[in-house]
Amino acid sequence: MANPDAVSWSCSLVAAPSGFLPSASPGAKVQSRRIGGKTVARRRNGTAARDDEGRSQRRSRVPSWVRPLAAAVAISAFVLGFALAGLVAGLDRTVRARFEGVRFRVPSRVYGAPTILYPGLDWRRVDLRGALARLGYREAEGAKSLPPGQYVWSAQRLRVHLRAFAHPSRPEPARDVVMRLDDSTITEIRSVPEGEEIGAVMLEPEPLGAYYGPAREQRELVRLTELPRHLVDAVLAVEDQRFETHSGIDFRRIAGAMLANLRAGAIRQGGSTLTQQLVKNFFLTPERTLRRKLQEALMALIVEARYDKDEILESYLNEIYLGQRGATAVHGVGEGAHLYFGKSASELGVSESALLAAIIQSPNGISPYRDPQRATQRRNLVLDLMLEQGRIDEDTHARARAEPLQLAAVTPDANDARYFLDLLRRQLAETYPTEVLEQEGLHIYSTLDPRLQRIAAESLRKGIESIEKRRPSLVSKDGPSLQGCIVAIRPQTGELLALVGGRDYRVSQFDRCTQARRQVGSVFKPFVYIAALEPFRGPPVITLASRLDDTPLEIQTPSGPWRPTNFDRDFHGEVSVREALEQSYNVATARLAQRVGIARVADVAQRLGIESSLPGVPSLALGTAELAPLELARAYATLASEGVRPTTQTVEDVVDGDGHVMEKRRLRFERVLDAGTAFLATSLLEGVAERGTARSVRAGGLRGPVAAKTGTTDEERDLWFVGYTPELVAVVWVGFDTPRGLGIPSSVGALPIWRSFIEGVTGGVVRGGFPKPPMIEQAAIDPGSGALALSGCPSSRDEYFLAGTLPTEVCPADDVQPAGGGLFHWLRGRL
Amino acid sequence: MRALRRDVLALFAVWLAGGCALVPTRAPQPAMHIRDVAHDGDETRRASQQLVLEGLRADSAHEFERARSLYQRALQVDSGNPYAYLALARQSAEEDEPELVLQYVDRAEDLLSADADSSPGAEVHLEGLRGLALAQTGETVEARELLERAAQSAPDVWGDGRLDADELR
Repeated sequence: MANPDAVSWSCSLVAAPSGFLPSASPGAKVQSRRIGGKTVARRRNGTAARDDEGRSQRRSRVPSWVRPLAAAVAISAFVLGFALAGLVAGLDRTVRARFEGVRFRVPSRVYGAPTILYPGLDWRRVDLRGALARLGYREAEGAKSLPPGQYVWSAQRLRVHLRAFAHPSRPEPARDVVMRLDDSTITEIRSVPEGEEIGAVMLEPEPLGAYYGPAREQRELVRLTELPRHLVDAVLAVEDQRFETHSGIDFRRIAGAMLANLRAGAIRQGGSTLTQQLVKNFFLTPERTLRRKLQEALMALIVEARYDKDEILESYLNEIYLGQRGATAVHGVGEGAHLYFGKSASELGVSESALLAAIIQSPNGISPYRDPQRATQRRNLVLDLMLEQGRIDEDTHARARAEPLQLAAVTPDANDARYFLDLLRRQLAETYPTEVLEQEGLHIYSTLDPRLQRIAAESLRKGIESIEKRRPSLVSKDGPSLQGCIVAIRPQTGELLALVGGRDYRVSQFDRCTQARRQVGSVFKPFVYIAALEPFRGPPVITLASRLDDTPLEIQTPSGPWRPTNFDRDFHGEVSVREALEQSYNVATARLAQRVGIARVADVAQRLGIESSLPGVPSLALGTAELAPLELARAYATLASEGVRPTTQTVEDVVDGDGHVMEKRRLRFERVLDAGTAFLATSLLEGVAERGTARSVRAGGLRGPVAAKTGTTDEERDLWFVGYTPELVAVVWVGFDTPRGLGIPSSVGALPIWRSFIEGVTGGVVRGGFPKPPMIEQAAIDPGSGALALSGCPSSRDEYFLAGTLPTEVCPADDVQPAGGGLFHWLRGRL
Repeated sequence: MRALRRDVLALFAVWLAGGCALVPTRAPQPAMHIRDVAHDGDETRRASQQLVLEGLRADSAHEFERARSLYQRALQVDSGNPYAYLALARQSAEEDEPELVLQYVDRAEDLLSADADSSPGAEVHLEGLRGLALAQTGETVEARELLERAAQSAPDVWGDGRLDADELR
C-alpha cells in the first residue's frame, strides 16, 4: 500500500508557492546547465533534441578518470537526495502531526461564583475595589464614554461598565451602571444612560486556577478573525514585516540581520520569520546550531507550503510566549491580553497592541511591570514601525505614542483555592480524563466564593500561628507542623463556598477536610439529641424540658465495661437537656444514647449526611467515629436548612473549548428530618453558642443567630468546631496528621478560627434568623423540674416543643394553688 | 418519550377541564405575582426578588438556562427566598422534572409557612405546581384534585392547568 505521506508530499512540492521556486510554466520544473559555453534550458522530461554525433566526439575527449568520478558524484547525489527526501518526509510528518492533531494544549480553567452587587450590600466587606482589580477592571478618569472593563470611582459614586459574560447558555450582557455608595453600603444602582433603577448586577466570575499539563502553560485560544487588525499589524510590523509575501524564509531580513550583527560585532538581530519562530516553538529546542537552523528553515518551508498564511499567523499568535504569571507560562495574545491588560485580546487598543507586540522579543526583559521605561521605548518603536510601514496613520500613531502604560493589577494564580481545585479535579476525573482536563480548555464554573475562600485561608493561617504562639512546644523545626482545615457550605443549596485543606498547600497537598477521617468527639453529640427529640414510632424520648441523669454510668461491652467520664472529671446529677449539651456532658449524653439506641443515633447521623461507617458501640455517642470535616458540614447544613439535606455542589456547569455546555448540575435536596426537630436541635445549639462551651464565639462582638458545637477528642488530639448561621455552615479542624496531644481545648484552638472566618464574612452581624416552623409551640417551663410553669411557679423560662409534646406536669404542683387556677385546670385537662 | 408525556399531559388537561366543569367551584382568589412582593423584606430579600423577576423575564424569552442561573443567584443572595424556589419549581415543571418540582415546592412551602409576611396568594401556585408534578409522575387522581383546586382558586392563571413565567412574575 502506498504511503499517503509520500504521496501528499510530492503533491505539496508541486503546490509550493511560486516565490520559492524559479518561475516557469505552471507545473513544470526547470533545470539549467551550461553546455558548450551556452546556457541551455532543458525540460526534465528530456524533450530537447539529442546529438549522438556530438556526444561521441565529447566522449573521446573526456579523460578516463572523469567517468568514475561522475558516477561517484551521481551516486552520491542520488543517495544524498534520497536521504534529503527522507528527512523532508519525516519533517513533514512531524509538521502535519502537530498542525492536524491537537495543535495547542489548553488547560481547563476553573472559575468561582460571581459576585453579586445590590443596594444594601456592604461594598467594603465584599472588597469591591479588590474584586474589580482582580477581574482586570481599570480605573479611568471621569470619562464620558466608558468602555467595558473600566470604572470611575469618585466620592460616593462608582460608575462601572461591567463586561459581558460570555457563556453559551446563560450569557450576561455588558452593562454600564452607576452605584451610589455611602461609607460602607451600596445605596442605589442605576443604568447608564437610561437612569433606570436596577435591583442587582453581577461581576463576571473570577478565575480560580487551571489544570495544567507538565509544561504549566496557560493560554486562551483566539481566532484571527476576532482580533483587531491593529494587533496583527503591530506584531507583523516588528516581528516579520514581509510575512505576507515570503515563503517561510525572508532572505532580505537574514541579510539585513547579518549586516547589523557584523556592524555590531555581536548577535543583535535575528533573521527569523514568524513561520520560523512558530516552527522553533512548536518543534525544536532553542539551541543555536547550524543543524537546528537548517531544520527550522526546512520546516518553515514545509509549513508555508502546506498551510495558508492566516492559519500560520493564528497559530503563531496563540503560541507565542508572553511572560509569566507566577509559575505559569503565559502563551498567546489572548492570555497575554488578560495578563497585561485584564481584558480580551479583541478589546485591545492600538497602544496596548503595540506593547504586546513589543514584549514578544523578550517577555521578561521588556516586562512593563519590571521596566516600564524600556517597555514604553519598545512600544514606541513598534508604533513607529507601524507608521513607517503604512499600517497606521499619523494621528493614530501620535495618540497611541502619547498614551501612558495602563496595566492590569498583577493577578497571580490564587494559591488559596488549590485544595478546592484538587477536590474538583478528583470529582471531575470520574467524567473527564486527565488529558481532557489538561488539554481541551474546558471552562468549569464552580460554586466557590473567592472572597470567602480568602477569608477562610487567612483565618486558618492566623489561627494556627496563634495556637503555636500560645503553645511553642507544638512547633518543631524538623518534625511535622500543626495542621488544620476549614470548609464552608451554603446549607440551603449545598454549594461549597470555601475549602482550605491545610495550612500551606506548597508544603502539603493532603486535604484534611475531604481526605482525612478523624475522631470527631463532641461535635457528634447533637445526633444523639436529635434521635431523642425526633418522634419515632410514638412520642419522642425527650423534649427540651426533659431532665437527664449525669451520674456515674457503667455499660457492659464485649471488650469490657465502659465508664464514661466528663471533661471536668465530675458528675452533675440531674441536668436539663440544654445544660447537658451546652456543657457537653459525656455521661448524660451516653446514657441518653442508651435510651434511644445506638442504631437510631447512627441512623440519624447518616440521614443527616454522614457517609463514613459508624461503629455500633456505646462510645459512638461521644464521637468515637472517624469522619471527614466535609461530612460534618453537610450534616449540620441539614440542621441549618430545617431538616432538608442538600446535595453538596462544587460545580454549576462545564463548558467545552468549543462553547458547548457539557454538564449542568441541578440544585437538589431531600427532607430527611422533620422541620420541628431540626428547629429544636438548632435551638439547642444556639444555647451552646450563647451559654455553653462555644460562648466565646461572641467574644469579638458577633451579633445575630449562631448555632455551634465544640469537639475535643481524648488528650486534645483533635480540635473541632462546627457552627452555622441561617446562611452558612463552617467546620474547623485542628490537629497533627499523626495524632498528638495539643494541650488546649477546641474552644481555644478551633473556635477562634471559626469566629475569625464568620466575622470576616459577615462583618460581625449575622443576617436573618432560624425560621420557626408552624409545628413548634412555645411554653414557659420550670427549669428546675421541666414542668409547665404557670403563674406562681418560682422560676420559669420559655421553651420550644413539637406540637403535642408539651409537659404534662405543672409548676406549682397540685397542692399549690396557682394564680388563675381555673384556667390552669382547664388547660391541664386538655393536656 | 417526551412527546408521549406531552400527549398524556394534554389528555389529562382535557380530562381536568371536563372535571372542572362538573365540580362545584370555589370562590376565586387573586393569585400572587412575585412583583407584588418584590419590595417586601430587607434589602437582601429585595435584591434577591429582583433576580427572580429577571429570571422570569429570561424564562419568558426562552432563555431557560439563564433564567435558572438567575434563580440560583437569587438564592446566593438570600438562600431563604421562597419565591426563588417557586420559580425553580415552575421551570422544572415545564421541563418535565417532577422530582425537582416537588423538592422545590416543598422547600418553598416550608419557607413560606415560617414567614409571617409571606403572600397568601402563593398557596395556589404551590397546589398547582404540586398537581402538575404529580400528573407527570402518573399520580393523576391526586394531581387532578390539586389542579382543580388551583383552577378554582385562580381561574385566570391556573384555568389552563399551567403556570407561565409571566403569570408568576
